[in-house]
Amino acid sequence: QNLKCLTHNLRKMICTWDVSSKGRHGQTDFCYTTNDLLPAVCLKTKEKRVEIPVPESSATVTITTNSISGTAFATKEFEIHKTDISFVPLTPRILSLTPDFSTSTLNLKWIDNGSVFPYGLDAFWQIQILRKEVMEKVTQVTYYSKLTHEDIILSWNWRSDMPLECTSHYVKIRCYINVTQFVGPKDWSDWSPVEEVPGKDTEPNVSGVFPQDTVVAVGSDVTICCVHQEGRQIKQMKYEREIYPMIHLSSRSSAIRVLNASASHASGTNVVCELSEGDMDGTVLFVGYAPDIPQNLSCETSNFLIIKCTWKPGRPSGLYGERKTKYSLFERISVKNVSCEVNEMNRERACDFPVLADQKTYDFLLGVSNPIGRTESSLLVDLNQRVHPKAPEKLTVSGNSSTSIHLHWFINGSFAEIRLLCQIEISSGHSERKWHNVSMPGGKFSTYTAQLNTLHPYTKYQFRVRCAAADHFWRWSDWSRIEEHTTLEA
Amino acid sequence: MAAADSPSAALRRRDLCSRGIRLAGKMRSDVVDLLDTYVEWQGLDASASVAAVEGVPAAAAERWDEQTGTQRLLENLAAYRAFRALLAQMLEEQREQLGEADTVLGRALAAVLLQVSAFAYHLEELLRLESRGPPSEEGAGPPPLPHLSLFERKLRGLGVLRELAQWAVRSARDLRQLAKPSPGSSSAPSPAESP
Repeated sequence: QNLKCLTHNLRKMICTWDVSSKGRHGQTDFCYTTNDLLPAVCLKTKEKRVEIPVPESSATVTITTNSISGTAFATKEFEIHKTDISFVPLTPRILSLTPDFSTSTLNLKWIDNGSVFPYGLDAFWQIQILRKEVMEKVTQVTYYSKLTHEDIILSWNWRSDMPLECTSHYVKIRCYINVTQFVGPKDWSDWSPVEEVPGKDTEPNVSGVFPQDTVVAVGSDVTICCVHQEGRQIKQMKYEREIYPMIHLSSRSSAIRVLNASASHASGTNVVCELSEGDMDGTVLFVGYAPDIPQNLSCETSNFLIIKCTWKPGRPSGLYGERKTKYSLFERISVKNVSCEVNEMNRERACDFPVLADQKTYDFLLGVSNPIGRTESSLLVDLNQRVHPKAPEKLTVSGNSSTSIHLHWFINGSFAEIRLLCQIEISSGHSERKWHNVSMPGGKFSTYTAQLNTLHPYTKYQFRVRCAAADHFWRWSDWSRIEEHTTLEA
Repeated sequence: MAAADSPSAALRRRDLCSRGIRLAGKMRSDVVDLLDTYVEWQGLDASASVAAVEGVPAAAAERWDEQTGTQRLLENLAAYRAFRALLAQMLEEQREQLGEADTVLGRALAAVLLQVSAFAYHLEELLRLESRGPPSEEGAGPPPLPHLSLFERKLRGLGVLRELAQWAVRSARDLRQLAKPSPGSSSAPSPAESP
């Protein structure tokens, strides 16, 4: 009775049946034929199951149960139609379950047994995550893939909301294959055996508060657990100075759940686990912000040796020391990368990049990252259009006439490839301030000269000078120091 | 002390002792202030109980009364050399963890470290008045720091500073003991006497 046939691979099927009569009986003759024209195929078996090919449309089965002595005492014929055969995929086999404790992520790898099936079938994989001593279900996810008539290793990641150290995590998987042309009932496979990632609460003599010294974003919900030695009790768990209700995970582990964590101060937020006998354990949580997109990125050179890029950092990350936001300047054309030494306390940030031989255009990408996130800002610069010289130095005035003088000054930098525009400011006691512009070819760490005429005799003047790029004006340098000079008497 | 002092040596020792007592007093008040800053900056509970910190010499001395002057100086010197190394480690960790953000605590730690170094040198001066002189420092550095979590380091720092505050009290009493005219000292004050 109850003849049932089931296939795992659409080619072979396993038929099972019951025998109504009690008492001992011998072998069974199992004969089947899929076509009246062909002779029946017979098998002898002691089991109440046989594996035979899946018929094209239907099959006639005759089952004869024999006595111990071999004489037949019961025979029954069955008609199996294709619609009677159910399809249940083989139980999936987990290849590996690998924890990444630093990110609390489980990586699951398994084989899809695709070679057994025709190309292109849709496969659905239900993955169940369980946790704690009592193996409580945490989540169940359905993962979709397409079979390719080859055995493919599939991989899936799951990020736990709790550090993996806190308690053991378990994973099991089953699958459903949508064989559209299969007319019989289709069902999920059995669940695979459970794979385990043991928690620290299963390791003897291990204790601690987890996650250890980690960084999370402001607004995160964080689970922090306290793993203690056998026989100890947790009196209470505090986040900063507030006692939190505890979640029991196992006999050696309890956790607290902090919602919408707020920014911690520079030395981090302490999470303290107070244990029996006055012992204490803890961890430090750094709650900060991902870096803001750098604002007002600007790059210029003052001497054609170094390019100085500056920017406004935006919202402070609240992370310091080894967790602070790091900056690097990458130049796409030369593929050169420079890491920037930046003081977190300065409002404006700066980074130097060397001027490269024979390169005038610079395609900068300022990369900004901290343990919480990463961002960037880019800028395309034609260096000749971003010249911002230093203030002229060593301004001297000479003159041996009553109405004209010579000014000399030095500018630190290599401006041989551009023309300079310099502005001389002339002021004297009673008259208005005047400006005199002069342009000249740039030089390499040179001293520059200009002559001023039409001055008043025997008059005390104050002169100062500033310079900029003549052809593509960007910014004036600062003014030089003032130099005084009195013209000769007429 | 080992042998009867010449008048100038005794005078020199008494002068060093009294200056040492003042230094210990100043150090103690600075360490107490530092402790407040440390607890607040590190977000700790001021009443947190901290297990004995490895590498930190205990200030409480058994049979304190029976110690010779040289023993007192040697124990003191060993302690402050250890504290010098421990505070330097704390300062290094502080800079590593907080970088530029740490101005208040870092400066206070550096100031106390300076005082501890000065006090250690002071003790060496006193020992030089002895015939034997101070022991060399080779191989006397603190035990290598086991890998500690940040929270454990915070607690450790608290333990170091608490013990240092105790030592400052003890050192003042030791130096008072030393300042008494030799040979041999009269009945020593009981350990409970506060500086």
